Amino acid sequence: MASSLRALFRRRSRTLLALAGIGISAALLLDMTMLASGLTESFGELLGAKGYALRVTPKGILPFDSDATIRDAAATARRIASVPGVAGVAPALGAQLYPVTGDSAREPVFATGIDPRGQMLYRVLRGREPGPGEVVVSEPMARDDRLRPGSVVSLASGLDVSLGRPRGTRRYVVSGVAEFLYDYAGEHSVALPLGEVQRAIGRDNQVSLFGVSAAEGVDPGALAARIGRVVPEVSVYSTAELLRETSRRLSYFRQMATILGSVALTVTALLVATIITIGVRERFGEIATLRAIGIARERILLGVVAEGLTLALLGCALGLPLGLWMARRLDRILLSFPGLPSKVTFFTFDPGRVAFALAVVVAVGAVAGCVPGLGAVRSPLGQALREEAE
Amino acid sequence: MSLFFGLALAAALQAPPPGILVERRLAESVPLRVGDTVRVRALASGATPRPFVVEGVFERPADPSRIARNEYEVRFHLPDLEEVLGTRDRVDRFAVVLSPGASPDSAARWIEGLAFGTRAYGSRALADRTSATFRVVSRFHRAIGIVTILASAIFLLCVMIIRVDERKRDMGMLRLVGVSRGTVFRSIVLEAIGITVAGSAAGAGLGIVIAQVVNAYYARYYDTTLRFALVTPRIVVLAALLGLGLGAVAGALAAWRVVNVPPQRLGER
Repeated sequence: MASSLRALFRRRSRTLLALAGIGISAALLLDMTMLASGLTESFGELLGAKGYALRVTPKGILPFDSDATIRDAAATARRIASVPGVAGVAPALGAQLYPVTGDSAREPVFATGIDPRGQMLYRVLRGREPGPGEVVVSEPMARDDRLRPGSVVSLASGLDVSLGRPRGTRRYVVSGVAEFLYDYAGEHSVALPLGEVQRAIGRDNQVSLFGVSAAEGVDPGALAARIGRVVPEVSVYSTAELLRETSRRLSYFRQMATILGSVALTVTALLVATIITIGVRERFGEIATLRAIGIARERILLGVVAEGLTLALLGCALGLPLGLWMARRLDRILLSFPGLPSKVTFFTFDPGRVAFALAVVVAVGAVAGCVPGLGAVRSPLGQALREEAE
Repeated sequence: MSLFFGLALAAALQAPPPGILVERRLAESVPLRVGDTVRVRALASGATPRPFVVEGVFERPADPSRIARNEYEVRFHLPDLEEVLGTRDRVDRFAVVLSPGASPDSAARWIEGLAFGTRAYGSRALADRTSATFRVVSRFHRAIGIVTILASAIFLLCVMIIRVDERKRDMGMLRLVGVSRGTVFRSIVLEAIGITVAGSAAGAGLGIVIAQVVNAYYARYYDTTLRFALVTPRIVVLAALLGLGLGAVAGALAAWRVVNVPPQRLGER
């Protein structure tokens, strides 16, 4: 085995090149493994970040997928809360409001009406939850508009199309600055008490969705089914169902990851097989001599397989940091998708999956080394010695 | 007068249901045919479903921006949709046809000035905005392409070095019988170019086949006429040029290692 490994490093430039190739292939495979489930997992973490495992929406509609609302929201919330296993119900009503400066309105911001006692959309960074006449603003908005707790903002519910004047303008005191979990990078958002938004946009007693948290030990899937039975006019999605839908919409990336991962594995197998085949062919006489002096075929084969294994292992060692670096670069590209929450990531480092991917590369290396090794130990000994002598 | 109102009311009561157009995929899935009556209500409303007659079946335009959601679509007359949704005098957007020679940008600015709070886009600007997602996908593909090219280049260089190493003795003999370094160098580079040209041709052929498989798969998966993979002449030429360049560089690097060694040493094991 030692002689096989020495042979591998005798041809340094060739081995280094092979290692570089295997390293790049392993890095690509690693990235594709991380990409295949990355966004779905990361989105799942985001959905469960505030402990609300279920989303209750208007029938057949995904959260914030349309303008549709749940009517008679207060009674619906009470019916949901009465279902055994429900720990909390958080309403949310989405709307567009226009920040007003002087007489003119600016670009609309996404406004959400929430119940400050239980909400799932943001984490307060500075200040506190909003009370009546108060508003929480997103960090980018606070930064760009120089707002801080205590500042005053004017928000209009609409625009007069012919005069361009804001309509229904109201002044709010900023109670806090928050990190909005589902905002895209740099998005301006505000959150106000639910009643304020309902009044502003004329949707009294309506909400876009409810977040529902399950009591400890309660299975969210079973709870979703129970709520569906008690309130049949709504749709109830567990985090797992929302992730399935996200996964369906992102199936293109999963399929591409599978294809590119397979290509990376093929390239690795080809590289290792080429290097080992040539190495074995060059040492054909040496191997024949070893066999002639009584070294067991298994030991010789083991030596050749060890070459493939070593190449693949070293390639993986190179590929791991390279893959992580590439994942960061590729993530930066993909996160520029318009409207994507800035808190998600396309590439998630799952040690188990990464270890599995690298183990596959190593196994492929070992198998690729096995093929030329078997050829060398199975060839007729006399012919091999004669060829070497010639 | 009362007779007139009575007749109008009777006519209204007996009026056939309004018509809708149904997307081909939905028509196949339900299934629906022209002349069928369907009952429609807005999901979020508790209103009674209203009958509509299927007046036609349409094929959705091959729009990549709608492929991820891939929802079924139907087309209503605007007043009918307002009736179903319970809204009045509301639209999401207008499409505006300009007089020949009119500037889309000027018209857009004029409309925005006239109707405050609206946004008007020329078709090119709109296409630019809606294709932002695909620009990101394209950048991602390009990045992956660069990695793949790098791996291929290393593979090619590796193969060339191995091939040259295998024939070191022959090269040494050639040099000893008077064949110049330049000739040996050129022959190795030409060989590398030959390998890459053959590889590029095989790759282009394989690419065309894979593109067809990919398109057939996604056409079935999304039930769309969109084509996801295209092997254009430009791509083939680019791949061939890249192959030529990589082949020349790999050949030159492999040859450099041989021609700089004295011929006597090329025969050594």
